[in-house]
Amino acid sequence: MNQKLRSLLKEGPRAVNIGVEQFAQDLAAQGVKVVQMDWRPPQAGSDLLSKLRKLKRQ
Amino acid sequence: MMRLEVMGLQRLEVVERTYYDSVTLMRVAKEIGGMEGVSSASLSMGTDANLRILAAAGFDVSNLSATPNDLIIAVMGEQDVLDLAVAKAKEYLSNPPWRQGQDGGESYKPRSLDGALTVMPEANLAVISVAGRYAGDVAMDCIAKDLNVMLYSDNVPLEKEIEVKRAAAEKGLLVMGPDCGTVVIRGVAIGMANSCPTGPVSIVAAAGTGLQEVHVQLARRGVGTLHGIGTGGRDVKSQVGGIMVEMASRLLLEDHEVQVLVIVGKPPAPEVEERILHLARGSSKPVVLGFVGGKAKGDQHPVYICRELEETAAVAAALAKGEDVPQVRAAMDAQVEELKALAKRIGPRKGYLRGLYSGGTLCYEAQLIARDILGPIHSNTPLEEHLKLEDSLRSVEHTIVDFGEDEFTQGRLHPMIDVSLRASRFQEEVKDPEVGVVLFDVVIGYGCHPDPATGLVEGIRKAKEICGDRVVFVASVCGTPDDVQDADRQRRILEEAGVVVMDSNAKASRLASFLLSLSE
Repeated sequence: MNQKLRSLLKEGPRAVNIGVEQFAQDLAAQGVKVVQMDWRPPQAGSDLLSKLRKLKRQ
Repeated sequence: MMRLEVMGLQRLEVVERTYYDSVTLMRVAKEIGGMEGVSSASLSMGTDANLRILAAAGFDVSNLSATPNDLIIAVMGEQDVLDLAVAKAKEYLSNPPWRQGQDGGESYKPRSLDGALTVMPEANLAVISVAGRYAGDVAMDCIAKDLNVMLYSDNVPLEKEIEVKRAAAEKGLLVMGPDCGTVVIRGVAIGMANSCPTGPVSIVAAAGTGLQEVHVQLARRGVGTLHGIGTGGRDVKSQVGGIMVEMASRLLLEDHEVQVLVIVGKPPAPEVEERILHLARGSSKPVVLGFVGGKAKGDQHPVYICRELEETAAVAAALAKGEDVPQVRAAMDAQVEELKALAKRIGPRKGYLRGLYSGGTLCYEAQLIARDILGPIHSNTPLEEHLKLEDSLRSVEHTIVDFGEDEFTQGRLHPMIDVSLRASRFQEEVKDPEVGVVLFDVVIGYGCHPDPATGLVEGIRKAKEICGDRVVFVASVCGTPDDVQDADRQRRILEEAGVVVMDSNAKASRLASFLLSLSE
């Protein structure tokens, strides 16, 4: 079995929380180790810009 | 003729390159909207969809320059409060009023997944609740880093769900979701879930409030649950093919700590159901299949088939305790007669049923039960397409509405977090002289409103001023006394306001229906 799956089911969750902070607070309140990530959406248009740059180079 | 000025003055402010999660934004908006002199407030990221929502709410966005990475603070109201409201919004974002007195969240928050894994290399789970259009890619990154995933986000494209689940299954990792609100791992509640004891039962659920109700009903019968693995409702549809329901079921059947396995959800696609049945029949331990409203019937060890949530929990609890299942089923049948007698004691009513729900699976179960007793039930999520409400804000005949559907949650908190919409709808429903019974659910636990009964009762008191005793209010509380909201306290608050509170959604739905069917 995948080690991370085994540890989840046998030792319980140790979580990275990406998004709603309430979930991290609720986990911490239950004694669970949790890291809240400061997630930001990818820069809008970055894909488009990189594609345009590629086209320019061709 | 007098013209009414309904729009008021407004202020729109764009805060560039600032991101907050939607729950934080909506909670702040609710605080600002409650300020004196403010008629409406909205905080949202500058996506096209959000700009359209703002425009529909009466804000002039024609000259607004915002990208999806910018935050828009929009306030409408009296001129002299607008500046203060925008300033308060910014203050609340950096220091939320609901978190004052708690740890201010000053701890280090890594910007990247690599950063997070440096802080906690032993992490085994990612809980993802970012906007659906990003959530699938974030999940793929997490799987690449060997993390199991709970995917709370909805609006994840179906193709993305399939891609994510296949990638995870290949690595032997779980993906719980998308659109999965509830997970329990070794008794730990993740998302919207309840405080229940751990024990010999484990649950695989393609239904969020379905998992909560079975979890709670097991606890009420003194039986604990080790794991409750949500998969999201689409997992059991043909396109996804039950990838995670099957994987989780196999895992739990092989797990020596699990003595009874429960699989719960709406009925799966036939080929998925067949695979689950095959797996269950070959099991060395009992498997209770709780496909709500499913067609299959009959118990044949090790497979026990149920079509309601409380029934599923009752059968699973009996198996865990070594009790006689036919006896438990007979007792449940007898309870139906007791509910009829209770309906007669309360006094049958004439007219229509109106159900106002926050839990999707509970709403579905209520419709099934009410349909069998009362006939066709209209809904925004109907059992049959021709019964779909033209307008979800206007009930017709017998109607049961799911307030957790997208149409109610666009730019608004989920009804399990914000009860105000349902509280005001009580009054609208009882204004209809043909309404005899109002049915609703109260779902508590982590992630839910801190005191939903108090909020709902405000609406019920106002409704009763309109209808007196003509309408009976019937409810159930999905939760336990160990939840922060305390299920017993929630029940008392409802009962003091004259609500008839039952022990389960199935019983509440049945009683509500009998109150109308026995009136002849």
